[in-house]
Amino acid sequence: MRITAPISTPAEVEPLVRAGARELYCGVVPPDWIQRFNTSGVNRRVFGNLNGYADLERVVDKATALDAEVFLVLNAQQYGEQHLDALTEIGTRFRSIGGKAAIVADISLIASLAANVPDLDIHVSSVATCRNVESARFFAALGANRIILPRDVTVAEIGAITEALPDLDIEAFVLNDGCVFEEGTCHTVHLPMNKGGPICIDNYQFEYRATDGGQPHERALRRLEQNDLDYKRWLWYRFGNGFSTAPNGYPWGPCGVCAMPAMHAAGVHAVKIAGREGASERKIKSVELVARVLERIAAGEPEDAVREFAVGLRDAPSHCAGGYMCYYPEVRSQQAVGDAEAKVPTAA
Amino acid sequence: MTSTQHTPTPDSGTRPIELGFALVDERELASFARHERLTRDDYLDPLGEARDCVALPDDAEPTHFFLGSEFCEHLLPSVEAIDRAVALCERWGLTFGLVTPIACDGLFPPLRAALARLPAGAEVTVNDWGIARLVQREFPDLRPVAGRLLGKMLKDPRLPSATWARMYPNGLRAGPFRDILDGLGIGRLELDFPPFGAADMYAGIDFPVGVRAPYGYIAKGRICKLGSLSLDSPEKFSPGHKCRRECLGFNEVGARPGTNELPTSQRGNTMYYRHAKGMATAVAEAVKNGWVNRIVLSGA
Repeated sequence: MRITAPISTPAEVEPLVRAGARELYCGVVPPDWIQRFNTSGVNRRVFGNLNGYADLERVVDKATALDAEVFLVLNAQQYGEQHLDALTEIGTRFRSIGGKAAIVADISLIASLAANVPDLDIHVSSVATCRNVESARFFAALGANRIILPRDVTVAEIGAITEALPDLDIEAFVLNDGCVFEEGTCHTVHLPMNKGGPICIDNYQFEYRATDGGQPHERALRRLEQNDLDYKRWLWYRFGNGFSTAPNGYPWGPCGVCAMPAMHAAGVHAVKIAGREGASERKIKSVELVARVLERIAAGEPEDAVREFAVGLRDAPSHCAGGYMCYYPEVRSQQAVGDAEAKVPTAA
Repeated sequence: MTSTQHTPTPDSGTRPIELGFALVDERELASFARHERLTRDDYLDPLGEARDCVALPDDAEPTHFFLGSEFCEHLLPSVEAIDRAVALCERWGLTFGLVTPIACDGLFPPLRAALARLPAGAEVTVNDWGIARLVQREFPDLRPVAGRLLGKMLKDPRLPSATWARMYPNGLRAGPFRDILDGLGIGRLELDFPPFGAADMYAGIDFPVGVRAPYGYIAKGRICKLGSLSLDSPEKFSPGHKCRRECLGFNEVGARPGTNELPTSQRGNTMYYRHAKGMATAVAEAVKNGWVNRIVLSGA
């Protein structure tokens, strides 16, 4: 199982590979793109992209020298037909300098890259919302080599896909950057914070109505209000525990490190660390955290011991206790959280 | 460099508009069952005051009836409800359609059972490429329609201006998109009408286009706040748990304070906007010009 890590500058290549990443993914906005299309939207992130082709070449050179692979993110949910040729040219150029794979969500772009850049691997982005065996077969038939599963899947669901399609690489999220809606079915943009930010944490003031048009009964309203408070707490975890880090520098936020033994057993090829827009230090500490768990797995430690180790790594197991920080809450370690069960922190 | 160029289909403006109604909650079939035949008012009445946000041609009468959810794998209708809806459609002389969501593998066995109940020629609205493959391979007598989760486009009701919307064009006219849908036997697109949409925004698309009205969907998650109402952590707000279908009893309506944006609501795992009257007018103009040839009415 390999670690796939985000980068946004050539300077991050070496420390991330040294920390344990064998695969790096990055985005780039070609210099003429904004002029041609009046947008910087080459991928799902406006920020966190490399500063042009020269940097992309430096990244590939450095990674290759360190025996790591580089993937290029072209994962907008949809592109206009006017973009396809330009994107295919980007893919061709990336392959010519030694890039390994493109991360793609739009099915037209997948088809275009498969037809025109056949030696460039295609990784189906989590934005494509591929989460069943038949869908994975569909993308494989289009030319995909790897499926990056969306965030909200269970380990059992992952295992069903890896078992049915052993020749297809499967990548699953393991750390950072939660998404509240399914990425591929969220037809919004992350507005600047002064205009509302992501819609899932925007300032909507909703009130409950019964579907027959009336007011819910008071008892039902109380339950709904409590559920809303629980949801608010879950949101706080989804957004990186208020974008904080543990005292030892490891990042808080959506996490699946204690599920890594199960994912390894299921045949997952790579675990993904999200966060191209994050600070370099956060990326490095993220890779370190995941690599420490992976070392235990590689050493053949029992699954229970690895899970316990993983839960203890941030030295604050109470955050793990509630399950709200988990990508895969069904495998959280009951044993490791022990008495901390009753000490689930509240949303800030 | 793209693989294929296609010629747009001829203008379909001379054909009568198709009118469908989409029902998610199978319990509501009972209120339709009392009708010997369905009229446009039978389709408009369940929308309540939102019917004012729909503009239909004078001669629009029901042609289709749909059952099922695009957004949630917990809302696949029972085979009993499907049998009942199919029988009602035979009585009314309407085409039946089963609406399906993005699926986990666990949904495929009940989905196969549901699809097996459909008569030849019934439509299946697919929102998952895997389900499209399933229908094509195992149920060739059914007619798959690409649902609005497959027709990707920006629909954020908070966008400050049309300029923002133009920065994120859709890919519905791309040659590979057409080729892929052709390969799956999909012959129709069902879409939303987005904020800042223009009447001609679906002109020249090489597929018959249906539009959902008067609500468009904004975003949907697999995690469901309301569907977690009866759960405790760690199952709460997680995938793969059972659901008591609370979304069929409650929804949330509201707005962002200080804005005059489209009315917004959340039903289960999905956010919606309601069309403004100007949007209804634009859809009607699109129908008049043959760029849209079906309207599917549904609630949020």
